[in-house]
Amino acid sequence: MKQNESGIGGAQLNRRGFLQASGGLVVAFSLFNATEIAVAEPAAGRSVASPPAGKLYAWLAVHPDNTATLFTGKVETGNGVLTALAQIAAEELDLPIDRLDVVMGTTSQTVDQGPSYGSMTVRYAGPQIRQAAAAGRQVLIDLAAKHFGVSSNQLVAREGTITILGSSDRSITYGKLVDGKRLDVDIGASGERFAMKVAPEARTKDPSTYTVVGKSVKRKDIPGKVTGEFTYVQDVKVDGMLHGRVVRPYGVESRLLSVDENGLKDIPGFVQVVRRENFLGVVAETEWGAIQAAEKLGSTLNPSGPDDGQAKWSNWNGLSPMDQIWDTLRQTAGINRSVASTGSVDIALASQSGGQVLKATYKTPFQMHGSIGPSCAIADVKSDRATLWSGTQMPHETRGDIAKILGIPLDDVELRWFEASGGYGRNGLDHSVADAAIMSQEVGRPVRVQWMRWDEHGWEPKGPPIVQDLLGIVDKDGNAIAWRHHMWVPTITDTHLIAPALIGKPDVTGITGTGATPVIRYVYTFDNTDVAVHDEGRVGLLTAWLRSPAQFETTFAMESFIDEMAVAAGQDPLAFRLAHIDDPRAIAVLKAAAEKYGWVSRPAGGKKLQGAGKPVQGRGIAWVNRDDVRVATIADVTVDPASGQIKVGRVVVAHDCGLVVNPDGLRNQVEGNVIQSLSRTLHEEVTFDRAHVTSRDWEGYPILRFSDIPDSIDVVLVNNTPQYPSYGAGEPATNPTAAVISNAVFDAVGVRLRQTPFRPERVKAAMG
Amino acid sequence: MPQNTTLNINGKDQAVSVEPDSMLIYALRNNLGLHGPRFGCGLGECGACTVVIDGEAIRSCITPVSTIGTSKITTLEGLGTVDNPHPLQKAFIQEQAAQCGYCINGMIMAAKALLDHTPHPSRDDIKEALDGNLCRCGTHMRIVRAIERAASQAE
Ligand code: FES
Ligand code: FES
Repeated sequence: MKQNESGIGGAQLNRRGFLQASGGLVVAFSLFNATEIAVAEPAAGRSVASPPAGKLYAWLAVHPDNTATLFTGKVETGNGVLTALAQIAAEELDLPIDRLDVVMGTTSQTVDQGPSYGSMTVRYAGPQIRQAAAAGRQVLIDLAAKHFGVSSNQLVAREGTITILGSSDRSITYGKLVDGKRLDVDIGASGERFAMKVAPEARTKDPSTYTVVGKSVKRKDIPGKVTGEFTYVQDVKVDGMLHGRVVRPYGVESRLLSVDENGLKDIPGFVQVVRRENFLGVVAETEWGAIQAAEKLGSTLNPSGPDDGQAKWSNWNGLSPMDQIWDTLRQTAGINRSVASTGSVDIALASQSGGQVLKATYKTPFQMHGSIGPSCAIADVKSDRATLWSGTQMPHETRGDIAKILGIPLDDVELRWFEASGGYGRNGLDHSVADAAIMSQEVGRPVRVQWMRWDEHGWEPKGPPIVQDLLGIVDKDGNAIAWRHHMWVPTITDTHLIAPALIGKPDVTGITGTGATPVIRYVYTFDNTDVAVHDEGRVGLLTAWLRSPAQFETTFAMESFIDEMAVAAGQDPLAFRLAHIDDPRAIAVLKAAAEKYGWVSRPAGGKKLQGAGKPVQGRGIAWVNRDDVRVATIADVTVDPASGQIKVGRVVVAHDCGLVVNPDGLRNQVEGNVIQSLSRTLHEEVTFDRAHVTSRDWEGYPILRFSDIPDSIDVVLVNNTPQYPSYGAGEPATNPTAAVISNAVFDAVGVRLRQTPFRPERVKAAMG
Repeated sequence: MPQNTTLNINGKDQAVSVEPDSMLIYALRNNLGLHGPRFGCGLGECGACTVVIDGEAIRSCITPVSTIGTSKITTLEGLGTVDNPHPLQKAFIQEQAAQCGYCINGMIMAAKALLDHTPHPSRDDIKEALDGNLCRCGTHMRIVRAIERAASQAE
């Protein structure tokens, strides 16, 4: 650890001055109230480049009042990672966590640590921050050694104060030591984003001594969020800002034929229409004015056709019929990838006799992220620079995308990050930044764009439909001997932005593909196996990753079909699974869930119903290995044969994500995953006609309500020990749910549900 | 055209200049800087924008300013602050009943109206009172627990 020539020197700034110098950007729980957040224009000439990862100040600032700020390129999306990362830093820094603020995402103040998705924040950014904080602590100790004229090993750091061992009256706070200076110290960094290594030489604590990591520290953001003091991106106000609304094409690829501006000038506050090729928007001095102008042009909940509003669109009908979407998917899949192959399923099929050959097809529909707050962004585009305010999950990437769209050098673009409504993947947030940038560029003033509900439901990128064929063989002695699972998965990594496509530059940003996204983790040990993905199908609507992309769906098929095999073999579904798994962590979560639940071994019921009888109970089990996290879920359901209604009773989840940073935060995530995935299982399906999405509000796209919540959700933590790293927990617990419910319904009423959502009509129809 | 109107908000009369047929949420958020009420759908379907008007939970996104008259409006800011939270807000903090938190304004304001009418609701009363409020993060179990906690601490 070397201090460079300038020591920790640099501009002497108090904390407030520091924040103002860095653009006035603050996170909501900090010192400022919402009205002060109105940010003046960025000082022209001020560098908005990201700080160098190898400098301590890129990660940490210590203020004269003995508080500190942690800077991270990762962002909060509601999962509690702000607090978790703060815990990791506070632990290494020996600073009380309530003295540590966190600045997230703002590109001029943070290092690009990769997007905040895929449950990868604590897992990958955690160690980077841990190293940086440990380096910071060492720098502070070294400063104190110089200050007292003693050697470093005579000093002890506790709660933000460094004391000479054995003389408790000789101590100094971090704030005094740093004395308002920037921590201009080289700590070293190599690699990029998720793979970046920071301060490789810094010595971190022995996890067995942790006092902050592993504690259910209360989340820093919640007090502000429950009092209205928190500042979401939707709350940010910029001086001179106009309000914009988009007017999207009637059909997904409709062309804009004409715009009749008649009457727009009569709308109070109306400023102008922004039209570029097929991009259409309006700006006004007031939000109400913008909404009214957009409505006149055709932005409404249920437009009757392409010429319903004063903007006329071409009649485009290129989407496949809704009930044929899975055929379209099979026909357009381009790339075949083998995931697992052992023995030969074909030979097993040909040679088996007297056993049972099971075949089934599982289907899942388009689903949406469905953020409660619609996408919103502000852009202030000048001829040579741009400032963006956004809640994107990928601030550094979005900054780059917008620079390309605008043709402004990256170093002159800054994205200031503020939290948005929960995103659960890639929703419309990035797209709204492009909308705002295009409108601001056109009108020469800052423009705030907020999507209307129908823009969000209609145009947010969707989680794609998936179809899966399964085949299994159970021999005459009840042994499972073969397993085939082929899945057709469309592009789930389509990062093209909507606005550039509309202005006629579709490929200036974005890629289409499935990338490295793992869509399944095959986990069983059958002798003959053939698991394959047929990738890259095209399904018409823009698609993007939705919480546990594709693996929610593939787990549904895999874990339901395992149950079908267990039924054919006449075996208890838990015992059947355990007999065909050799992963110790998987076995541990299955057993932990079973123990908590009080699982009694018996084959799944499959009782035949005697007419429309009384509600019947059943239980289901399923598990997943998602990104090295193991989750097993068991649930009780009650099925009402008269209505087809499924009521979920008790839910038990055993969760192994290694060392848990914040146990209550983790439970909050697991509960959230269970409820959201129950919603996706029971209720959710995007509807569309040949032109566009027709489920454009919460009536058209119902989600789970309080009347549907389970009676209880018990969470058991497995392998929560320092022996394991902290794997991410943002989404794994989503995966088992659809299979659990399908299996429980079979146990109750003997019908197998192979297509989500399990709405009452569908359940009733299945029961015949 | 915008007109000057006086609204009684959180116990104070406040003058705003807005179009009479514009919705209350925009006056609160944009003219008065009250960010507790949140825009979710603008269609009365999600509850994110809920305020309490004369004791009832009302959706400010579909309530024109012209219909308010002298009614008394309470927003989330009118309950308490981070430093001095209302018992409901305190209970939400104690139960850690938020993820993204975007829906929470609606949950607390609906609960406020419920508890004012029914100080000791059953779990089913709570679920019924909140059934029109959507939460996408799945914080429901904690929200119910927080309201039960607040109710159990009420006199
Ligand atoms: S925003 Fe008012 S009900 Fe959704
Ligand atoms: S906490 Fe995110 S929508 Fe409810």
